[in-house]
Order: sequence, then structure tokens, then C-alpha cells
Amino acid sequence: MPEYPKDLIKDLIEGGLSSERVFEIQKAEKDKDRLEKVLEIEQERVPWKEKILVPLQEHLYVVEKEGKKIVKCSCGYEFGDYRENWKLNAGVYVRDTEEKLDEIYRGPRKCDPEWQIIREFYCPGCGAQLEVEAVPPGYPIIFDFLPDLGEE
Amino acid sequence: MGKYKEMVLETKERLEKLGYYKKDLRRKEEDPVKFEVLYTKLVQCVLTARETATLISANPVTREAGDTVFGLYTPEGDSICLTAGVLVHVHTTGLFIKWMLEHDYEEKMGIKEGDYFFNNDSYIGGAHSNDQNIVTPIFYKGELVGWAGGMTHVPETGATEPGGFPSSAISRFDEGLYIPCMKIAEDEKVRPDLDLLVERNVRMPVYWLLDNRAKMAGVRIMRERVKSLIDEYGADYFKDAVHEYIEDTIRATKEKARRVLFPGKYRAVAFYDVTLASQPVRAGDTLEHLPLEMTVDKKGNITLDFDGLSSPGQHPANSSHMCSEGNVFCAFLQNLFYDSRYNEGTAIAVDMNIPLGTVCNPENIFYATNMWMPGYMLGSACWCNAVARAYYARGYREEVHASNPIPPGTTSGGTDQYGRQFGGLYTECTCPGQGALAIMDGLDYAYAHFNPEADMADVEALEQQYPAVYLGRSIHIDSGGFGKYRGGNGNLTLRFVENTPFLQMGSFAGGTRVHTTPGIMGGYPSATEYKNIARNTNLKELIDKKAPLPHREGADPSNPEMMQLLKADFEFGLDVNYVSREIKKYSIYQHQLLGGGGFGDPIERDPKLVARDLEDESITLRTAKAIYCVDIDPETLEIDYEKTEKLREEMREARKKRMIPVKEYIKHEREKISKGNIPKISKEMYNDVLAKSEKFAKEFREFWNLPDDFVKIPE
Repeated sequence: MPEYPKDLIKDLIEGGLSSERVFEIQKAEKDKDRLEKVLEIEQERVPWKEKILVPLQEHLYVVEKEGKKIVKCSCGYEFGDYRENWKLNAGVYVRDTEEKLDEIYRGPRKCDPEWQIIREFYCPGCGAQLEVEAVPPGYPIIFDFLPDLGEE
Repeated sequence: MGKYKEMVLETKERLEKLGYYKKDLRRKEEDPVKFEVLYTKLVQCVLTARETATLISANPVTREAGDTVFGLYTPEGDSICLTAGVLVHVHTTGLFIKWMLEHDYEEKMGIKEGDYFFNNDSYIGGAHSNDQNIVTPIFYKGELVGWAGGMTHVPETGATEPGGFPSSAISRFDEGLYIPCMKIAEDEKVRPDLDLLVERNVRMPVYWLLDNRAKMAGVRIMRERVKSLIDEYGADYFKDAVHEYIEDTIRATKEKARRVLFPGKYRAVAFYDVTLASQPVRAGDTLEHLPLEMTVDKKGNITLDFDGLSSPGQHPANSSHMCSEGNVFCAFLQNLFYDSRYNEGTAIAVDMNIPLGTVCNPENIFYATNMWMPGYMLGSACWCNAVARAYYARGYREEVHASNPIPPGTTSGGTDQYGRQFGGLYTECTCPGQGALAIMDGLDYAYAHFNPEADMADVEALEQQYPAVYLGRSIHIDSGGFGKYRGGNGNLTLRFVENTPFLQMGSFAGGTRVHTTPGIMGGYPSATEYKNIARNTNLKELIDKKAPLPHREGADPSNPEMMQLLKADFEFGLDVNYVSREIKKYSIYQHQLLGGGGFGDPIERDPKLVARDLEDESITLRTAKAIYCVDIDPETLEIDYEKTEKLREEMREARKKRMIPVKEYIKHEREKISKGNIPKISKEMYNDVLAKSEKFAKEFREFWNLPDDFVKIPE
């Protein structure tokens, strides 16, 4: 079973490795201690001290804060209890007209807003685009991932 | 009851009651090297079978595009090992074998050495009528020890439209010739009456009939090689080992899931548009809902629940249960279990619920299934998205990627350049773009989720087959989903009609009204798909004058090259689900393939990658500036990093200004829903699913805080 130095994992997750090296890592058996190393790397990258429990997605982490587990952005913005969908405490911009869709998808390359709209979810703290949903008008907001942290 | 049927039922019961396929791995434990060597030799058998068939076939989809798969099966019809290729059939060919055994073929038809059985019925063991399977039993000293099977995609099935993908199909009876589980050869000899059946029912019988011979040759070689291996290893060893390979896979897949996926509950959803209202068909439009809830527990058990799927409909885009399952297995094998053995064990290891009476599991066989995209998207969009998050949280970022696109294609038929009647399929559909990874861009026009080994075929090979000349094949610019890493772009082709007295042309699949390839973690979905046609052109005049010709679409899809250079009657932005119709000489038709979903916030993309994209003509300058917020000189491609950072900061601020709190948005939306202020097509989708799925209805009411008696969005 391979073991990779932390610097190499850091390069990997920052997109710094050549595609040849990435393919080697993809083909090899998975390194056992990856999560520990990634947690260390992620912890070093954020400007705050709360312990990261789960790297949830780009910018977002489940962290331990004062005995509670909450979702926190890399910028420090806190979204609340991890068991509630973080999107409910985010900002949203809805592209539901041809004009708004055309800013992203030119001419015929966009959806018909009667069939589908684009919802962009932003972090209220730093303005990062955290998720994009392409759903029909009226669709419930998707709760993408609830990690199993051994609690109800 | 026949002994083979008993065998099938016993295996099912063992799995259900005892929870294992084979109790022990005795042969593996005794001598793991011997065990693995035999497996490798079996893999060589299936590969030889596939290569043999490919060389015999005259069908460009088999020969050029590699749309095939060959496999070895246990006596009861479970796959032991497969080639790569169309991995949907990891499961479906086996179900065809099981169906025959369960329906007493042993007694009614007789099963003996030298028999070959054919099936292309998607409700028995397949995906659509084009995917045609042939299996032959393997006997050793009078005992059935397995089956050799092969599948190829045959591009002409005698459907209402040529090319095997009738966009106008509203039932199975529009899809051409279905031959369910038929013995087509005995004592190694093909029955001539069955050849006649094909000859008189399809437009281009050579594809079908020669592919039959190709598959028969392949599976016969496989059969003989397997028998030699049994001579070498002994029948008892062989029988134990083939079942152990499946049990070993079940255990290995669970162990891998436990080690690499973060336990939790994942949700993903995708939508598919069926557009018939714009077509010369008496049928309407449908929006299909394709939701997934995936649960991964700490032991590596994966459960996939597709409760909430839309109803099946009178349109081509339904997917049989086994095809839907097969598509998800196809996704497993590529995204998670790629280092396991390709066999039934993967299918057994994962619990899946695809409710009966839905678009991915129709309740009767009359629903058309040629456009099995909803089943496809359960794997390519929903599963990809869910498993990407599970890998991400566990730190394995090299395995994370956004969803992969569906493969829309072009069909044609009529009289070819040799004066023959024909029907065919253009194979560029095998090369859309790949979803972006968390650490790099998706591959451009090089990856089909349904067949990771596919090839789009050389232009020259396709020009030789069909009466159309290529003006160009190029990158479909801006088609991949934008993101920190972008989805791979699809390809774009321009062809003109030549050298035929009559040609009709159509195209299939959806993705015109909705984005079918979602992005992930801030990345955008890939662009939608459409079709452009120029009729009554002055192309001949331009060719004679050696004037510039259109070769691609160009930077602005609203003003494509063909519009700039030709005089013609233009039809732009047509639905991809385009029913086949006549197209005259020197008309031009454009077809393109979708790109993959994007990953991450586009304004975090390395500006150097944006410059590279511009140089490669993968994106337009407008995209570089407006989406990626990169200040770049269009001539020198020099980046002004300071200005770029400023543009990006301004974008972050602009987002904060234009966004509204989600809780406020929910309040507005709730109002609209409760009053029925939702567009008709979306409302129809909700009302269908609200009536069909208690789970979806409950969650929908809870989310929008609607009363318990809210069962329908009002008119």
C-alpha cells in the first residue's frame, strides 16, 4: 500500500501535479492515511482555529466549535449545525430569465427557464460560489451531503 | 423443473436468505496465484472473442467505435469476467440467460452445444433494440459449465426512422424488429429463415447479419478456449473458481467502499427533457425527474434509492429496469470499482431501489426504450455527483469528478452513394466531454460514460459508409461546464449531403431545454445541446468558386460560420430530439456533443489555464472575461494579474449585492407554489411525482411548509 508525503498530497489537492503523476496515484491502491493528511493540510490552509472534522466541499468544512459541530467557510463565515442544509443560511442568485441565463450560456446554449432555472449559492461572508443547482422552478433546495458522524 | 432453472432459483435464494454468493473462497485461499492466473486467462478469452468479432463486423459502430462487450457467464447466467466496452451489459446479458432458464428453455427449446441464442429485447436483457446479444452454452463432458456471450450495437433495426434511434417513437412498436430469446443457430449453423426475417425487416441487413456472424465467431472461440482451460485446470476447480470470482468481487467492492468513501447520506438530482411537441408527432413534451439518495454506511454498504422518479411515457425516453441498473453498474465500474473484477459481484454488492412504474422501470413492455437516457443519467449524472462528494470528504480528490454528459447522436438513411438502401448512425456521439475533476479539467471530446473505450471513428470511415461529406470536425467551444476546473468540451461536426438521390436525417436525445450535466461545488452545468441546419444552400456555387466554406460554428453560436458564409434557409437552435426527415443535396447539418460538468468556483480558475483555453479555442474571449474574470490580451494572451484579481474581487462583491438570503427566497417561492404560479411543464412534472412517490411528496411538503393535504400544485 503506498504512502505519500504530505507535500505531495498538498500538491495533488491544489492541482499542482502533472496528469501523468495523477494517473499513477489514481491507478495505485489508495493510501490509508489520506484523510488524516488532508485534514492537516486543510487545517493549515484556513485562518481560524476550530478543528476540522470533515472537508465537506470546496470552501466548506464541518468543524468542532464549543462542543457543537457546525459548517464553516474557509473565510470564517459560519452556517450553523451541520445536520441542517448549509444552503439555508447562504445567499442565492436565481437565473430565471433568458437575459440572466445568457450571461453564462450564450445564444441557444442555455436552458428554457420554463423548464429549468439556475440557482447560484454564495457564501455571505466572502462571496465564493459554493454550489450551482440546475432545477425546475419550484424545486426544493437540495441537501447534497449529510456526513455520518456517528450521531442521530 | 429443469435442473438449470433450479440452479438459478437456488442462487437467488442463497443470496436472499444467507446473504452470500459462495460461502467460502477455498480455491483462492489454497493457491491465490493459481486462482489469479486462471482469471487472467479467462480475461484473455473474452478479449480474444471481442477482437475477433470486431474484425469480422462491417458495422462502423462495432468496428470503428467499439460499442461492444463480450463476457463469460456461469451456468446460471452471472457474469464472471467481461471485456471493457459497453459496461451496461455487465448485468443485462446475464439476465437474458436467466430469463431463458427461468422460462424453461431447457425443456421447451433444448439447450445443447452448438446452439446460439439471440436477444435484443430491452425488457429481457438489454438496453434498447440496437444492443444485440448472442450467447452460446459451454458444455464440458455433457455438463453445462457456463455461457459465452457477446453484444454489439447494430445501427439499423427497421424502426419507423432509420438509424436505430427513432425520436418519434411513442411505443415499442415504433422501434423496429425485436427478437426476444430466439435460437438462431443449431449445430453451429445459422437458420436461414431467421436471416430472412432480418433481411426483409431492416434497411441495412448486412450490419445485423454480419454482426450475428461476428458475435458467433467470437463466442465460439471463447467457448473452445474455456474448454481447453478446463482440460488444464479440471472441471471441479473451474466450477469452484468461477463462483469464487463473483463472491470475491462482492467482498472486495464492499471493502473498497468502506475504505474510500465517507459514510453519510448523499442527494443528487438530474432532469431530462423529452421534446416531441416541436416534432411531427402527435405527442407532447415531458420533463423527467431523476433523483438519487445514496447512503454509505461505515461497513461499506451502499444503498441507492431512486424513489421519486417520473412516470414512464408515450415517448422514446424510457429505460427498462435492467438497463437502468446496468447503467448504474457501468458507473460503479468506472468511478469506484475500476480495480475490481468486472463481473456480477459488483451488481450484487450494492442495494438499489428503482421503483416499478417509473421512467426507469416501466410497468409494462409497451413503453419505448430506445432513448434510455433517463437510466443512463442515474449513473452519469446522479451517481457521479453523489460519489464525488463521498470521495472528496475522504480526501481522495483525484477521484472526484463532476457528472458526465448524455450522448446525443445523428442518424441518417435513404439511398447511399452505392445506390443501396441504408440506415445508419454517426458515431461522434461516443465522444462527448468528461466531467471536471477536483484537481484538473475533464477530457475534451474523448469520453463516453456508457463506453469508456469508445472511439468516435475516422471521418474517412464514416464518409465511406454514408452519403455525406464532412466540412469539419472541431472542438465545441464553451460546451464544457465552467468552473475552477472545467468540464471537457464536446465535439462539433458540420456535414453536407452529397451523392444521394434521397437522404433523410434525424437526431436523438435531449438536453436542449434543460442542462442535463450538473456541475459540482460551484461549477456550472455544461451548455445545452441544439441542432442547426442550412437548407437550399449555395454551397455548390461556393465550392465551384473555391470560396471560403464553413467548417465550424465559431465563437458566437447566435451567428455561426455557416450563416456568415452561406445563402440558405437556416433552421437554428432546433431540439436535438429531431425526427428524421428528408434533407436535400448540399444541405448542411451541424451536430454537437455536450461537455462535462464543471467543478468549483470559476473565478478561482488559474488564469494560465484560461489563456491556454483561449489558445486551444476551447473557450471564447467573452467567457474568459465574463465568467473567469481574467484580464487578458486577446492577441498576445498576456494576463494582467493585478487587474484580474481586481475583476475577481468585484465579482465577489457583485454576488454579495445581487444575492438574497435563501430563507427569504424560500418564502417567495412557497407563495408561488401554493398558488400554482409555476410554468406548466414543471408543474406537470411535480404533479406526476407528487402522486407517485409518497417519499417525494412528504419531503416536498415539508420543505415548502405546505399542509398535509397538499397533493397537487393548483392550476
